Amino acid sequence: MSWLPPLALGFWGVVLLQAWASGRLNLLLRADFHGLVLGAGLALLLLALASLRWRPQRRSRLIPWTALLMLWAALVVLATPPRPSLSTLAANRSASDLGASPLSFLSPPEQRSLTDWVRLLRNQPDPALYGGEPVRVSGFVLAVPGQAPELARLLVRCCLADATPVGLAVRWPPGRPWPQPDQWLKVSGVMGVEQHQGAARSVLLAQQLIQIPEPARPLEP
Amino acid sequence: MAGIAFNSAQGATVWAVFQGLLLEALPFLLIGVSIATLGRAWDPRGRWLQRLPNHPLLGPLSGAALGFALPACECGNVPVARRLLAVGAPLGSALGFLFAAPVLNPIVLLATWAAFPDRPWLLLLRPFGSLLIALVLAALLQLLPEAALLSQDLLAERRLNQPLASASLLERRGGQLGAAAPPPMALAPPPPWAELLDHGLREFLELGALLLMGSAIAALLQTLIPRDVFLSLGQAPTLSVLSLMLLALVVSVCSSVDAFLALGFADQVTPGALLAFLLLGPVIDLKSLSLFGRLFQPRAILLVVAAVSLTVLLIGQWLNLVLL
Repeated sequence: MSWLPPLALGFWGVVLLQAWASGRLNLLLRADFHGLVLGAGLALLLLALASLRWRPQRRSRLIPWTALLMLWAALVVLATPPRPSLSTLAANRSASDLGASPLSFLSPPEQRSLTDWVRLLRNQPDPALYGGEPVRVSGFVLAVPGQAPELARLLVRCCLADATPVGLAVRWPPGRPWPQPDQWLKVSGVMGVEQHQGAARSVLLAQQLIQIPEPARPLEP
Repeated sequence: MAGIAFNSAQGATVWAVFQGLLLEALPFLLIGVSIATLGRAWDPRGRWLQRLPNHPLLGPLSGAALGFALPACECGNVPVARRLLAVGAPLGSALGFLFAAPVLNPIVLLATWAAFPDRPWLLLLRPFGSLLIALVLAALLQLLPEAALLSQDLLAERRLNQPLASASLLERRGGQLGAAAPPPMALAPPPPWAELLDHGLREFLELGALLLMGSAIAALLQTLIPRDVFLSLGQAPTLSVLSLMLLALVVSVCSSVDAFLALGFADQVTPGALLAFLLLGPVIDLKSLSLFGRLFQPRAILLVVAAVSLTVLLIGQWLNLVLL
Protein backbone atom coordinates (compact mmCIF):
# COMPACT_ATOMS: atom_id res chain seq x y z
CA MET A 1 0.00 0.00 0.00
CA SER A 2 3.00 2.32 -0.31
CA TRP A 3 1.37 3.83 -3.41
CA LEU A 4 -1.67 4.99 -1.45
CA PRO A 5 -0.25 8.22 0.06
CA PRO A 6 1.16 9.52 -3.26
CA LEU A 7 -2.12 8.58 -4.95
CA ALA A 8 -4.14 10.52 -2.37
CA LEU A 9 -1.83 13.52 -2.76
CA GLY A 10 -2.03 13.31 -6.55
CA PHE A 11 -5.81 13.22 -6.49
CA TRP A 12 -5.91 16.37 -4.40
CA GLY A 13 -3.68 17.96 -7.03
CA VAL A 14 -6.24 16.90 -9.64
CA VAL A 15 -9.09 18.30 -7.49
CA LEU A 16 -7.43 21.71 -7.29
CA LEU A 17 -6.54 21.78 -10.98
CA GLN A 18 -10.03 20.65 -11.99
CA ALA A 19 -11.60 23.30 -9.75
CA TRP A 20 -9.45 25.94 -11.45
CA ALA A 21 -10.00 24.70 -15.02
CA SER A 22 -13.74 24.04 -14.74
CA GLY A 23 -14.61 27.42 -13.25
CA ARG A 24 -15.71 25.79 -9.98
CA LEU A 25 -13.48 28.23 -8.13
CA ASN A 26 -15.57 31.12 -9.41
CA LEU A 27 -18.34 29.90 -7.16
CA LEU A 28 -16.14 29.22 -4.14
CA LEU A 29 -13.29 31.69 -3.87
CA ARG A 30 -12.45 35.28 -4.63
CA ALA A 31 -10.45 35.58 -7.86
CA ASP A 32 -7.32 36.75 -5.97
CA PHE A 33 -6.89 33.20 -4.65
CA HIS A 34 -7.34 31.33 -7.92
CA GLY A 35 -3.66 31.51 -8.88
CA LEU A 36 -2.71 30.13 -5.49
CA VAL A 37 -5.02 27.14 -5.97
CA LEU A 38 -3.61 26.52 -9.46
CA GLY A 39 -0.03 26.62 -8.13
CA ALA A 40 -0.89 24.32 -5.23
CA GLY A 41 -2.62 21.86 -7.59
CA LEU A 42 0.41 21.69 -9.88
CA ALA A 43 2.77 21.34 -6.92
CA LEU A 44 0.73 18.52 -5.37
CA LEU A 45 0.59 16.62 -8.64
CA LEU A 46 4.33 16.97 -9.25
CA LEU A 47 5.15 15.98 -5.67
CA ALA A 48 2.93 12.90 -5.97
CA LEU A 49 4.62 11.84 -9.22
CA ALA A 50 8.08 12.42 -7.71
CA SER A 51 7.09 10.41 -4.66
CA LEU A 52 5.94 7.48 -6.82
CA ARG A 53 9.15 7.61 -8.88
CA TRP A 54 11.65 7.89 -6.04
CA ARG A 55 10.89 5.72 -3.03
CA PRO A 56 12.80 6.50 0.17
CA GLN A 57 14.82 3.80 1.93
CA ARG A 58 13.06 4.49 5.20
CA ARG A 59 9.43 5.55 5.15
CA SER A 60 7.95 7.96 7.65
CA ARG A 61 5.13 6.57 9.74
CA LEU A 62 1.63 7.58 8.66
CA ILE A 63 -1.59 7.32 10.65
CA PRO A 64 -3.19 4.49 8.61
CA TRP A 65 -6.62 5.94 7.92
CA THR A 66 -5.49 9.40 6.83
CA ALA A 67 -4.36 8.49 3.29
CA LEU A 68 -7.54 6.48 2.73
CA LEU A 69 -9.75 9.29 4.06
CA MET A 70 -7.96 11.90 1.95
CA LEU A 71 -8.24 9.74 -1.19
CA TRP A 72 -11.94 9.10 -0.58
CA ALA A 73 -12.61 12.80 0.12
CA ALA A 74 -10.75 13.86 -3.03
CA LEU A 75 -12.85 11.51 -5.16
CA VAL A 76 -16.10 12.71 -3.57
CA VAL A 77 -15.18 16.40 -4.01
CA LEU A 78 -14.15 15.72 -7.60
CA ALA A 79 -17.40 13.92 -8.40
CA THR A 80 -19.76 16.29 -6.59
CA PRO A 81 -19.55 19.90 -7.75
CA PRO A 82 -20.97 22.54 -5.40
CA ARG A 83 -24.47 23.77 -6.18
CA PRO A 84 -25.26 26.08 -3.29
CA SER A 85 -28.54 27.85 -2.85
CA LEU A 86 -27.31 31.45 -2.78
CA SER A 87 -30.64 32.52 -1.32
CA THR A 88 -30.27 30.05 1.57
CA LEU A 89 -26.71 31.19 2.14
CA ALA A 90 -27.66 34.87 2.03
CA ALA A 91 -30.64 34.36 4.34
CA ASN A 92 -28.25 33.36 7.09
CA ARG A 93 -25.98 36.36 6.70
CA SER A 94 -26.42 40.01 7.61
CA ALA A 95 -26.39 42.47 4.75
CA SER A 96 -22.87 43.59 4.03
CA ASP A 97 -21.61 47.01 5.03
CA LEU A 98 -20.00 48.30 1.88
CA GLY A 99 -17.87 50.74 3.82
CA ALA A 100 -16.39 53.83 2.23
CA SER A 101 -15.60 52.18 -1.10
CA PRO A 102 -15.38 54.51 -4.07
CA LEU A 103 -18.68 55.08 -5.84
CA SER A 104 -19.30 54.81 -9.55
CA PHE A 105 -20.64 58.34 -9.71
CA LEU A 106 -19.60 58.77 -13.30
CA SER A 107 -21.49 55.74 -14.58
CA PRO A 108 -24.80 56.65 -16.16
CA PRO A 109 -27.66 55.15 -14.12
CA GLU A 110 -28.46 52.42 -16.64
CA GLN A 111 -24.84 51.21 -16.55
CA ARG A 112 -24.65 50.84 -12.77
CA SER A 113 -24.44 47.31 -11.42
CA LEU A 114 -26.62 46.15 -8.55
CA THR A 115 -23.69 46.61 -6.17
CA ASP A 116 -23.11 50.15 -7.49
CA TRP A 117 -26.75 50.99 -6.78
CA VAL A 118 -26.68 49.55 -3.26
CA ARG A 119 -23.46 51.40 -2.52
CA LEU A 120 -24.93 54.65 -3.84
CA LEU A 121 -28.16 54.25 -1.86
CA ARG A 122 -26.26 53.58 1.36
CA ASN A 123 -23.92 56.52 0.93
CA GLN A 124 -26.61 58.97 -0.18
CA PRO A 125 -29.90 57.45 0.90
CA ASP A 126 -32.18 60.36 -0.11
CA PRO A 127 -34.65 58.59 -2.47
CA ALA A 128 -35.61 61.86 -4.14
CA LEU A 129 -32.19 61.98 -5.81
CA TYR A 130 -32.83 58.90 -7.92
CA GLY A 131 -36.58 58.99 -8.70
CA GLY A 132 -37.23 58.13 -12.36
CA GLU A 133 -33.65 57.09 -13.18
CA PRO A 134 -33.42 54.05 -15.48
CA VAL A 135 -32.09 50.84 -13.91
CA ARG A 136 -30.73 47.70 -15.60
CA VAL A 137 -29.27 45.23 -13.14
CA SER A 138 -28.89 41.49 -12.74
CA GLY A 139 -28.81 39.31 -9.64
CA PHE A 140 -30.45 36.38 -7.93
CA VAL A 141 -33.81 36.45 -6.19
CA LEU A 142 -33.39 36.63 -2.42
CA ALA A 143 -36.41 35.70 -0.31
CA VAL A 144 -37.10 38.19 2.50
CA PRO A 145 -39.44 36.87 5.23
CA GLY A 146 -42.75 38.76 5.25
CA GLN A 147 -41.78 41.04 2.39
CA ALA A 148 -41.35 41.01 -1.37
CA PRO A 149 -38.15 39.28 -2.48
CA GLU A 150 -35.13 41.42 -3.28
CA LEU A 151 -32.66 41.21 -6.13
CA ALA A 152 -29.26 40.46 -4.63
CA ARG A 153 -25.60 39.66 -5.20
CA LEU A 154 -23.10 38.05 -2.85
CA LEU A 155 -19.88 39.84 -1.95
CA VAL A 156 -16.90 37.72 -1.04
CA ARG A 157 -13.67 38.75 0.65
CA CYS A 158 -12.10 35.32 0.77
CA CYS A 159 -14.33 32.30 0.14
CA LEU A 160 -17.98 31.34 0.22
CA ALA A 161 -17.74 31.05 4.00
CA ASP A 162 -17.60 34.83 4.37
CA ALA A 163 -20.02 35.73 1.57
CA THR A 164 -22.44 38.50 2.54
CA PRO A 165 -25.43 39.67 0.53
CA VAL A 166 -26.24 43.09 -0.88
CA GLY A 167 -29.87 43.41 -1.91
CA LEU A 168 -31.98 45.96 -3.76
CA ALA A 169 -35.66 46.38 -2.87
CA VAL A 170 -37.84 45.62 -5.91
CA ARG A 171 -41.52 46.25 -6.61
CA TRP A 172 -42.27 43.31 -8.91
CA PRO A 173 -44.65 43.77 -11.88
CA PRO A 174 -48.24 43.57 -10.61
CA GLY A 175 -50.50 40.67 -11.53
CA ARG A 176 -47.68 38.13 -11.68
CA PRO A 177 -46.39 35.84 -8.95
CA TRP A 178 -43.11 36.78 -7.35
CA PRO A 179 -40.11 34.99 -8.88
CA GLN A 180 -38.69 31.95 -7.13
CA PRO A 181 -35.67 32.32 -4.81
CA ASP A 182 -32.29 31.60 -6.44
CA GLN A 183 -33.57 32.47 -9.94
CA TRP A 184 -31.11 34.69 -11.81
CA LEU A 185 -32.84 37.65 -13.42
CA LYS A 186 -32.00 40.69 -15.49
CA VAL A 187 -34.37 43.40 -14.35
CA SER A 188 -35.08 46.64 -16.21
CA GLY A 189 -37.15 49.44 -14.77
CA VAL A 190 -36.89 52.80 -13.06
CA MET A 191 -36.00 53.85 -9.56
CA GLY A 192 -38.99 54.90 -7.48
CA VAL A 193 -39.85 55.83 -3.91
CA GLU A 194 -41.95 53.86 -1.43
CA GLN A 195 -42.80 54.07 2.25
CA HIS A 196 -41.11 51.34 4.24
CA GLN A 197 -41.41 51.04 8.04
CA GLY A 198 -42.40 54.70 8.29
CA ALA A 199 -39.63 56.10 6.11
CA ALA A 200 -39.19 56.75 2.41
CA ARG A 201 -36.80 54.46 0.58
CA SER A 202 -35.70 53.83 -2.97
CA VAL A 203 -37.22 50.86 -4.73
CA LEU A 204 -36.65 49.42 -8.17
CA LEU A 205 -39.95 49.51 -10.07
CA ALA A 206 -39.45 46.48 -12.28
CA GLN A 207 -40.90 46.70 -15.78
CA GLN A 208 -39.17 43.84 -17.57
CA LEU A 209 -37.81 40.58 -16.15
CA ILE A 210 -35.59 38.28 -18.17
CA GLN A 211 -34.50 34.97 -16.71
CA ILE A 212 -30.76 34.50 -17.28
CA PRO A 213 -28.38 31.61 -16.57
CA GLU A 214 -26.19 31.84 -13.48
CA PRO A 215 -23.20 34.01 -14.48
CA ALA A 216 -19.75 32.46 -14.74
CA ARG A 217 -18.64 34.60 -11.81
CA PRO A 218 -21.65 34.80 -9.48
CA LEU A 219 -19.64 36.27 -6.58
CA GLU A 220 -18.49 39.87 -6.54
CA PRO A 221 -15.37 41.19 -4.80
CA MET B 1 -34.62 23.10 16.58
CA ALA B 2 -37.46 23.96 14.19
CA GLY B 3 -35.61 27.07 13.11
CA ILE B 4 -32.58 25.11 11.98
CA ALA B 5 -34.28 22.20 10.27
CA PHE B 6 -32.03 20.71 7.61
CA ASN B 7 -33.29 20.68 4.02
CA SER B 8 -31.74 19.88 0.67
CA ALA B 9 -30.94 23.53 -0.09
CA GLN B 10 -29.05 23.76 3.19
CA GLY B 11 -27.29 20.46 2.48
CA ALA B 12 -26.12 21.78 -0.90
CA THR B 13 -24.99 25.01 0.75
CA VAL B 14 -23.05 23.20 3.49
CA TRP B 15 -21.30 21.18 0.80
CA ALA B 16 -20.35 24.32 -1.14
CA VAL B 17 -19.13 26.20 1.96
CA PHE B 18 -17.10 23.12 2.95
CA GLN B 19 -15.42 23.09 -0.46
CA GLY B 20 -14.79 26.83 -0.28
CA LEU B 21 -13.11 26.55 3.12
CA LEU B 22 -11.07 23.54 2.07
CA LEU B 23 -9.87 24.80 -1.30
CA GLU B 24 -8.86 28.09 0.28
CA ALA B 25 -6.96 26.44 3.14
CA LEU B 26 -5.15 23.65 1.27
CA PRO B 27 -2.67 25.93 -0.57
CA PHE B 28 -1.74 27.57 2.76
CA LEU B 29 -1.34 24.16 4.37
CA LEU B 30 0.95 23.14 1.51
CA ILE B 31 3.01 26.31 1.98
CA GLY B 32 3.35 25.57 5.70
CA VAL B 33 4.35 21.94 5.14
CA SER B 34 6.83 23.06 2.44
CA ILE B 35 8.47 25.57 4.79
CA ALA B 36 8.72 22.90 7.48
CA THR B 37 10.16 20.36 5.02
CA LEU B 38 12.68 22.82 3.61
CA GLY B 39 13.70 23.66 7.16
CA ARG B 40 14.26 19.95 7.71
CA ALA B 41 16.50 19.82 4.65
CA TRP B 42 18.45 22.94 5.58
CA ASP B 43 18.96 22.09 9.22
CA PRO B 44 18.09 18.40 9.77
CA ARG B 45 18.97 18.34 13.44
CA GLY B 46 17.55 21.78 14.14
CA ARG B 47 20.79 23.12 15.60
CA TRP B 48 19.88 26.71 14.69
CA LEU B 49 16.35 26.43 15.97
CA GLN B 50 17.54 24.93 19.25
CA ARG B 51 19.49 28.16 19.80
CA LEU B 52 16.33 30.25 20.02
CA PRO B 53 16.07 31.79 23.49
CA ASN B 54 14.70 29.65 26.28
CA HIS B 55 13.84 32.69 28.42
CA PRO B 56 10.19 32.84 29.61
CA LEU B 57 9.73 36.25 27.95
CA LEU B 58 12.32 36.28 25.17
CA GLY B 59 11.36 32.78 24.03
CA PRO B 60 7.76 33.58 23.00
CA LEU B 61 8.86 37.00 21.71
CA SER B 62 11.48 35.45 19.44
CA GLY B 63 8.92 32.89 18.23
CA ALA B 64 6.41 35.65 17.54
CA ALA B 65 9.06 37.59 15.63
CA LEU B 66 9.56 34.58 13.35
CA GLY B 67 6.12 35.41 11.95
CA PHE B 68 7.69 38.31 10.06
CA ALA B 69 10.11 35.91 8.37
CA LEU B 70 7.62 33.10 7.73
CA PRO B 71 4.31 34.77 6.95
CA ALA B 72 1.59 32.13 7.16
CA CYS B 73 -1.97 32.06 8.37
CA GLU B 74 -3.13 29.68 11.07
CA CYS B 75 -3.35 26.64 8.75
CA GLY B 76 0.14 27.12 7.40
CA ASN B 77 1.85 27.80 10.68
CA VAL B 78 0.79 24.56 12.43
CA PRO B 79 3.22 22.39 10.41
CA VAL B 80 5.97 24.98 10.92
CA ALA B 81 5.32 25.06 14.68
CA ARG B 82 5.29 21.27 14.70
CA ARG B 83 8.69 21.29 13.01
CA LEU B 84 10.01 23.75 15.63
CA LEU B 85 8.80 21.47 18.41
CA ALA B 86 10.06 18.29 16.71
CA VAL B 87 13.63 19.55 16.33
CA GLY B 88 13.79 20.45 19.99
CA ALA B 89 13.42 24.24 19.74
CA PRO B 90 12.62 25.82 23.12
CA LEU B 91 8.96 25.31 23.96
CA GLY B 92 8.33 29.04 24.56
CA SER B 93 9.66 30.02 21.12
CA ALA B 94 7.60 27.38 19.32
CA LEU B 95 4.43 28.32 21.20
CA GLY B 96 5.07 32.03 20.64
CA PHE B 97 5.31 31.34 16.93
CA LEU B 98 2.20 29.15 16.89
CA PHE B 99 -0.05 31.63 18.66
CA ALA B 100 1.28 35.02 17.53
CA ALA B 101 2.62 34.49 14.01
CA PRO B 102 -0.85 34.31 12.36
CA VAL B 103 -1.28 38.00 13.29
CA LEU B 104 2.30 39.25 13.61
CA ASN B 105 3.18 38.97 9.98
CA PRO B 106 3.31 41.66 7.32
CA ILE B 107 0.42 40.29 5.24
CA VAL B 108 -2.07 40.26 8.11
CA LEU B 109 -0.98 43.64 9.48
CA LEU B 110 -1.27 45.23 6.03
CA ALA B 111 -4.71 43.65 5.53
CA THR B 112 -5.86 45.03 8.90
CA TRP B 113 -4.61 48.48 7.96
CA ALA B 114 -6.30 48.27 4.55
CA ALA B 115 -9.63 47.29 6.14
CA PHE B 116 -9.55 49.73 9.07
CA PRO B 117 -7.46 52.79 8.18
CA ASP B 118 -9.84 54.92 10.28
CA ARG B 119 -9.39 52.90 13.49
CA PRO B 120 -5.78 53.46 14.59
CA TRP B 121 -6.46 51.84 17.97
CA LEU B 122 -7.25 48.58 16.20
CA LEU B 123 -4.02 48.67 14.19
CA LEU B 124 -2.13 49.01 17.47
CA LEU B 125 -4.15 46.70 19.70
CA ARG B 126 -4.40 43.76 17.31
CA PRO B 127 -0.64 42.99 17.23
CA PHE B 128 -0.15 43.87 20.90
CA GLY B 129 -3.17 41.83 21.96
CA SER B 130 -1.94 38.92 19.89
CA LEU B 131 1.49 39.14 21.51
CA LEU B 132 -0.09 39.24 24.96
CA ILE B 133 -2.16 36.14 24.18
CA ALA B 134 0.95 34.31 22.96
CA LEU B 135 2.83 35.24 26.15
CA VAL B 136 -0.04 34.11 28.38
CA LEU B 137 -0.54 30.83 26.53
CA ALA B 138 3.19 30.08 26.37
CA ALA B 139 3.60 30.75 30.09
CA LEU B 140 0.60 28.62 30.96
CA LEU B 141 1.38 25.66 28.72
CA GLN B 142 4.99 25.57 29.92
CA LEU B 143 3.67 24.78 33.39
CA LEU B 144 2.68 21.36 32.03
CA PRO B 145 5.29 18.64 31.66
CA GLU B 146 6.03 18.05 27.97
CA ALA B 147 4.57 14.54 28.19
CA ALA B 148 1.22 16.00 29.23
CA LEU B 149 1.37 18.78 26.64
CA LEU B 150 2.60 17.34 23.36
CA SER B 151 1.07 14.55 21.29
CA GLN B 152 2.87 11.24 21.65
CA ASP B 153 4.33 11.18 18.12
CA LEU B 154 5.60 14.72 18.40
CA LEU B 155 7.05 14.08 21.84
CA ALA B 156 8.95 11.03 20.58
CA GLU B 157 10.37 13.03 17.68
CA ARG B 158 11.31 15.90 19.97
CA ARG B 159 13.08 13.61 22.43
CA LEU B 160 15.27 12.28 19.64
CA ASN B 161 16.46 15.76 18.77
CA GLN B 162 16.81 17.27 22.21
CA PRO B 163 20.30 17.39 23.72
CA LEU B 164 21.06 14.54 26.11
CA ALA B 165 21.00 17.04 28.95
CA SER B 166 17.26 17.50 28.36
CA ALA B 167 16.17 14.00 27.38
CA SER B 168 17.95 10.84 28.44
CA LEU B 169 18.47 7.82 26.21
CA LEU B 170 15.71 6.00 28.05
CA GLU B 171 13.25 8.76 27.14
CA ARG B 172 14.14 8.48 23.46
CA ARG B 173 11.52 6.05 22.29
CA GLY B 174 12.64 4.74 18.93
CA GLY B 175 16.12 6.20 19.39
CA GLN B 176 19.34 4.33 20.00
CA LEU B 177 17.62 2.09 22.54
CA GLY B 178 15.02 -0.27 21.16
CA ALA B 179 15.11 1.13 17.66
CA ALA B 180 14.16 -1.14 14.79
CA ALA B 181 17.05 -2.37 12.69
CA PRO B 182 17.49 -0.25 9.56
CA PRO B 183 16.39 -1.97 6.33
CA PRO B 184 19.16 -3.30 4.09
CA MET B 185 20.62 -0.77 1.70
CA ALA B 186 19.27 -0.87 -1.83
CA LEU B 187 21.75 -1.34 -4.66
CA ALA B 188 20.98 2.09 -6.13
CA PRO B 189 20.07 4.29 -3.16
CA PRO B 190 17.34 6.85 -3.81
CA PRO B 191 18.29 10.52 -3.73
CA PRO B 192 18.50 11.96 -0.21
CA TRP B 193 15.53 14.22 -0.78
CA ALA B 194 13.23 11.21 -1.37
CA GLU B 195 12.99 10.76 2.38
CA LEU B 196 12.22 14.47 2.86
CA LEU B 197 9.55 14.29 0.19
CA ASP B 198 8.01 11.23 1.81
CA HIS B 199 7.98 12.95 5.19
CA GLY B 200 6.39 16.12 3.78
CA LEU B 201 3.79 14.10 1.90
CA ARG B 202 2.71 12.23 4.99
CA GLU B 203 2.64 15.42 7.06
CA PHE B 204 0.38 17.02 4.45
CA LEU B 205 -1.99 14.05 4.41
CA GLU B 206 -2.28 13.86 8.19
CA LEU B 207 -2.94 17.58 8.59
CA GLY B 208 -5.19 17.54 5.53
CA ALA B 209 -7.37 14.81 7.07
CA LEU B 210 -7.81 16.93 10.20
CA LEU B 211 -8.54 19.98 8.04
CA LEU B 212 -11.30 18.01 6.29
CA MET B 213 -13.04 17.41 9.59
CA GLY B 214 -12.61 20.98 10.86
CA SER B 215 -13.92 22.45 7.58
CA ALA B 216 -16.93 20.12 7.62
CA ILE B 217 -17.92 21.15 11.16
CA ALA B 218 -17.38 24.86 10.39
CA ALA B 219 -19.46 24.65 7.18
CA LEU B 220 -22.27 22.83 8.96
CA LEU B 221 -22.47 25.25 11.88
CA GLN B 222 -22.24 28.43 9.88
CA THR B 223 -24.96 27.32 7.48
CA LEU B 224 -27.32 26.18 10.21
CA ILE B 225 -26.84 29.03 12.69
CA PRO B 226 -27.88 32.43 11.29
CA ARG B 227 -25.09 34.98 11.59
CA ASP B 228 -27.62 37.41 13.09
CA VAL B 229 -27.66 35.20 16.19
CA PHE B 230 -24.10 36.36 16.82
CA LEU B 231 -24.57 39.96 15.72
CA SER B 232 -27.90 40.60 17.46
CA LEU B 233 -26.05 40.97 20.74
CA GLY B 234 -23.80 43.55 19.13
CA GLN B 235 -24.30 46.46 21.51
CA ALA B 236 -24.25 44.68 24.88
CA PRO B 237 -20.68 45.10 26.16
CA THR B 238 -19.99 41.60 27.48
CA LEU B 239 -22.38 39.58 25.35
CA SER B 240 -21.14 41.26 22.18
CA VAL B 241 -17.57 40.17 22.96
CA LEU B 242 -18.70 36.63 23.70
CA SER B 243 -20.88 36.37 20.61
CA LEU B 244 -18.16 37.67 18.28
CA MET B 245 -15.72 35.20 19.84
CA LEU B 246 -18.16 32.43 18.97
CA LEU B 247 -18.52 33.81 15.48
CA ALA B 248 -14.72 33.78 15.00
CA LEU B 249 -14.65 30.18 16.18
CA VAL B 250 -17.35 29.09 13.74
CA VAL B 251 -16.54 31.14 10.64
CA SER B 252 -12.94 29.80 10.51
CA VAL B 253 -11.63 32.21 7.87
CA CYS B 254 -7.94 32.73 7.31
CA SER B 255 -6.26 35.44 9.40
CA SER B 256 -5.05 37.21 6.26
CA VAL B 257 -8.63 38.10 5.27
CA ASP B 258 -10.59 38.14 8.53
CA ALA B 259 -10.22 41.94 8.81
CA PHE B 260 -12.14 42.37 5.55
CA LEU B 261 -14.87 40.09 6.84
CA ALA B 262 -15.02 42.07 10.10
CA LEU B 263 -15.39 45.28 8.09
CA GLY B 264 -18.84 44.05 7.07
CA PHE B 265 -20.20 44.20 10.62
CA ALA B 266 -17.75 46.55 12.37
CA ASP B 267 -20.37 49.27 12.86
CA GLN B 268 -22.91 46.86 14.36
CA VAL B 269 -20.75 45.68 17.26
CA THR B 270 -18.82 47.16 20.17
CA PRO B 271 -15.09 47.96 19.71
CA GLY B 272 -14.19 45.24 22.22
CA ALA B 273 -16.18 42.66 20.27
CA LEU B 274 -14.49 43.70 17.02
CA LEU B 275 -11.05 43.34 18.57
CA ALA B 276 -12.03 40.02 20.17
CA PHE B 277 -13.07 38.68 16.74
CA LEU B 278 -9.72 39.69 15.25
CA LEU B 279 -7.71 38.27 18.17
CA LEU B 280 -9.43 34.94 18.75
CA GLY B 281 -9.86 33.72 15.15
CA PRO B 282 -6.13 33.55 14.36
CA VAL B 283 -5.43 31.49 17.50
CA ILE B 284 -8.36 29.08 17.53
CA ASP B 285 -11.21 28.26 15.20
CA LEU B 286 -12.89 25.00 14.29
CA LYS B 287 -10.47 24.50 11.40
CA SER B 288 -7.26 25.12 13.32
CA LEU B 289 -8.45 23.30 16.44
CA SER B 290 -8.63 20.12 14.39
CA LEU B 291 -5.02 20.69 13.31
CA PHE B 292 -3.91 21.18 16.93
CA GLY B 293 -4.56 17.44 17.37
CA ARG B 294 -1.18 16.89 15.66
CA LEU B 295 0.59 19.02 18.25
CA PHE B 296 -1.07 18.70 21.62
CA GLN B 297 -2.76 16.24 23.93
CA PRO B 298 -6.56 16.72 24.11
CA ARG B 299 -6.37 18.17 27.63
CA ALA B 300 -3.78 20.70 26.52
CA ILE B 301 -6.07 21.75 23.64
CA LEU B 302 -8.87 22.33 26.16
CA LEU B 303 -6.49 24.43 28.24
CA VAL B 304 -5.57 26.50 25.17
CA VAL B 305 -9.25 27.08 24.38
CA ALA B 306 -10.07 28.09 27.95
CA ALA B 307 -7.04 30.34 28.38
CA VAL B 308 -7.29 32.14 25.07
CA SER B 309 -11.05 32.63 25.49
CA LEU B 310 -10.61 34.17 28.93
CA THR B 311 -7.73 36.39 27.81
CA VAL B 312 -9.61 37.64 24.76
CA LEU B 313 -12.76 38.24 26.81
CA LEU B 314 -10.79 40.33 29.30
CA ILE B 315 -9.09 42.33 26.53
CA GLY B 316 -12.44 42.95 24.84
CA GLN B 317 -14.05 43.98 28.12
CA TRP B 318 -11.19 46.33 28.92
CA LEU B 319 -11.46 48.01 25.53
CA ASN B 320 -15.22 48.43 25.91
CA LEU B 321 -14.66 50.05 29.31
CA VAL B 322 -12.16 52.49 27.82
CA LEU B 323 -13.95 53.37 24.59
CA LEU B 324 -17.67 53.12 25.41
